[in-house]
Amino acid sequence: MGKRSFLQNILLALAVGIVLFFCLFPFVQILSTSLKHQFDWGNPSLIPIKINLNAYRELLGLGKKDDVAIPDSIKRLLDNPLLTEEKKNEIISKYKSTSDVFPFPRYFLNTFLLSASAASISLILAVFGAYSFSRLRFKGRSTIQRSILFVYMVGGVMLMVPLYQMSVKAGLAKTVWGSLLSLLLIYIIQTLPVSLYMLGNYFRTIPYSLEEAAATDGCSRIQAIFIIILPLSIPMLITVFIYCFIIAWNEFLFASVFLKQFHDFHTLPLALQSLFVSKNAIWDRIMSASMLTLIPVIFCFMFVMRNLTGGLAEGGVKE
Amino acid sequence: MPISIEQKEARLGWKLVAPSLGVIGLLIIYPILYNLYLSFFDIKLTGEKFFIGLANYEKLLEDTAFYGSVLTTIIFLIGTVVGSTVVGLFVALLMNLQFPFRNVARTIILLPYFAPVISVVFGWQFIFDPVNGIYNHIIVEVLHLTDQRHNLIGDPNTALLVVILFDIWKHFPISYLLIISKLQSINRDQYEAAAIDGCGPVVRFFHVTLPEIYFVLGTLVILRLIWNLNKFEEIFLLAPNVKTLPIFTYYAAFTGIIDQGFAATVSVVQFLVLSFLIYFYVKKVLRW
Amino acid sequence: MASVELRNINKSFGSEQVLHDINLEVKEEEFVVLVGPSGCGKSTTLRLIAGLEDVTKGEVIINNEVVNLIEPQHRNIAMVFQNYALYPHKNVRENIIFGLKRAKAPKDLINRRLERVSKMLELQDLLERKPAQLSGGQRQRVAMGRAIARDADLFLFDEPLSNLDAKLRHQMRTEIRRIHREYKTTSIYVTHDQVEAMTLGDRVVVMRDGHIEQQGSPMEIYLKPNNIFIATFIGAPSMNILDATIFPEFVDLEGQKLILKNMFSEDSISLPKEGKKIKLGLRPDFFLDENFVSKDASLTTIRNAHIDIIEPLGFDKEFHVQVGSQTLKARLDLRTTAKEGEKINLCFDMERAHFFDVETEKSL
Repeated sequence: MGKRSFLQNILLALAVGIVLFFCLFPFVQILSTSLKHQFDWGNPSLIPIKINLNAYRELLGLGKKDDVAIPDSIKRLLDNPLLTEEKKNEIISKYKSTSDVFPFPRYFLNTFLLSASAASISLILAVFGAYSFSRLRFKGRSTIQRSILFVYMVGGVMLMVPLYQMSVKAGLAKTVWGSLLSLLLIYIIQTLPVSLYMLGNYFRTIPYSLEEAAATDGCSRIQAIFIIILPLSIPMLITVFIYCFIIAWNEFLFASVFLKQFHDFHTLPLALQSLFVSKNAIWDRIMSASMLTLIPVIFCFMFVMRNLTGGLAEGGVKE
Repeated sequence: MPISIEQKEARLGWKLVAPSLGVIGLLIIYPILYNLYLSFFDIKLTGEKFFIGLANYEKLLEDTAFYGSVLTTIIFLIGTVVGSTVVGLFVALLMNLQFPFRNVARTIILLPYFAPVISVVFGWQFIFDPVNGIYNHIIVEVLHLTDQRHNLIGDPNTALLVVILFDIWKHFPISYLLIISKLQSINRDQYEAAAIDGCGPVVRFFHVTLPEIYFVLGTLVILRLIWNLNKFEEIFLLAPNVKTLPIFTYYAAFTGIIDQGFAATVSVVQFLVLSFLIYFYVKKVLRW
Repeated sequence: MASVELRNINKSFGSEQVLHDINLEVKEEEFVVLVGPSGCGKSTTLRLIAGLEDVTKGEVIINNEVVNLIEPQHRNIAMVFQNYALYPHKNVRENIIFGLKRAKAPKDLINRRLERVSKMLELQDLLERKPAQLSGGQRQRVAMGRAIARDADLFLFDEPLSNLDAKLRHQMRTEIRRIHREYKTTSIYVTHDQVEAMTLGDRVVVMRDGHIEQQGSPMEIYLKPNNIFIATFIGAPSMNILDATIFPEFVDLEGQKLILKNMFSEDSISLPKEGKKIKLGLRPDFFLDENFVSKDASLTTIRNAHIDIIEPLGFDKEFHVQVGSQTLKARLDLRTTAKEGEKINLCFDMERAHFFDVETEKSL
């Protein structure tokens, strides 16, 4: 106990350093490679010899369409005089204008809309459901509370077959909008139990006497939810929304199952994976795509961090 | 008949919770039962179903790939759960100490958890890439441990190790969070009393810290087992040749020789294992 | 203004019955205090009137209308809670006018009420603040302001002062009396503090274990308590209850004969010749030091009480004395110079004494 010796301080610094390195290295690697030209990729140093913004430009649709990184191996192929001009162009066009092949903004929008819708609907359902079993007294309430937890643990990978089959039966899997609808529903169901659980716990911390006061002041129960409970829950509502949003944003399995054939409607995880599979030598593009999907999440993360503490109901009630 | 206030409340309760229950019933409860139903069928690509009774189950029990997958899953579970808990514990103990910029450090270590899998998985692939990756560079050129570059991810034997490492990296923060919140609630007095009694730091850890966080560790282990049994993206995107149960199911359901009935069967088995784990968790750990 | 009637009210939580056959009438403009120890059911009774709890059996009648099935928001009541229950995300102004806005009152009415209330409770400077920025006393005043602004027919107070310090409590008590005098709203006030009950109420209802023990004006309760519980609960310092035996002519207290004057008329309880065991109730302020009593005053004397402890209280002293095997407390003024360890003779007027059956009734 007490002050640490110099040696202990060194060890501590070392340990913390190792942990931080362990956490951050992959991110730094991604950033670094996304900014490197091809000849630089094998270079173990994290700092690019020459900064390459082409990958970002292409993905965001900002750059010239001809600025394409054609792998060396293909370049050599193209130099072969036996290839006809036509064939050469064919090969080159595969690598050209990749903003058509990977329209990042489009995929971003797809994923964003899908995640936002799923998170919103999930949140609304969860607010009413959580209010119900945290505040209102009715028979069967505790059974419902317990089964929420069970359902949370079960929902997921194991449902891939039956949910797909159900969607096929309902005729949804064949059309784009049917598939999107199926996916939306699946994202809702993947996030609903957790939202219910988190909001239920939170609502229970709001003093009941506030609602009683509202009742004597002339509020019906529903009015009390909107006027009292929700304003006091804003940080939690945002946290739950972001949590659901991130789950939908990251999701791959069901997106792949339902949207594989509809290239234009791919979500980011799906698109990234296809990109990787189709052009597996273009690391800088893959890395920059990774970075671009990473950044919004980091923002949300920062926001949630700031809101994880704080009792909003302070002052209203005598402890 | 006029209804009392209590009855009104109960009615409102059911009304508000009904939509959520409806969604859950339709999209979770029903599929589970439907899955069981499907496992007794041979499902053709056209969607036609032929009832074959327990044939899928027989096939499953005779399938060596299935047992391989079970083994892979078990190794994966043990590796990741033990790994992430130990790392989480270590980091929690570390972050419980005072040092400058501790808050910054605490935020940074949460990044792996919040980063989308798709964003980091290719970074990891790059690190282990036989041509460009830094791992090979260090092992071969710097440390001279082997003289040949290895494709760790391509090789199914080593891919599992990479996947385990990736999962530990990605998920130790949640173990860390759960442990540290308990750690911080341990009264300093206990440590001081132990120190006065002549206990060194190691003894203090075993006799003060460990008993206090025992319950949290237990909860953590069960939860991680349950979560990791369901893991798909992390494994599939990093090294699809590592066939844990979910991956195995996916291949059976959507690639190669598509046999959704068979896949349903695997899911049923997985569900049983999961239910057992959940039951155990709820009874022993939560004491419901 | 509203009148309230509780008819045969019974309330159970699950299998536990907390209120037994409560019958209570509150007239218009009356200020009634429900008082009793913790757990006696007074808060539950209040909440039943408010509509925050369901009635198991019986009727709650407000303004001659049975309101059992009517929800709180429709009962036109205003309530002040023990923990204030102010809306934390609204400032003081919004808290006060909340009920009026719910009722869609016209703007100028709202402003007038707001002004009147904030002036009366001295809240003008605090209107923009949020509850978290207020002290306990200020919050309590806002809670009261919120109730008053509504101009409801019935005010319900649930131990509103119990979280304040003694001085504030005193101040707020005066405030509440002033407000009632001005608005004359029917009020039902719950407290465990008998001083509040005595100073605030037109009528006091003493409750215990889900029963009403006695109702009446504060003076009635004080002077004529029905049983030992009420006698000791009301009045501070609490009444001395002593074991004694009563005979037709006198009371035997620890061997001393205390002469009964002709207090019992023929048609009251006849006293058996062998003596009946009773409990004798004497308030500490009944006593006088024999030295300062004029000889012709017809007072009974307890002799040779042994002084154990003297507690000085400023303007008088509390004497803990021992008579035989029993102890009693007496309040004597500063003229008495007797010291601890000495003996003293205490005089009192037997007509003021209370006699209790060995649990229940009084027979004076």
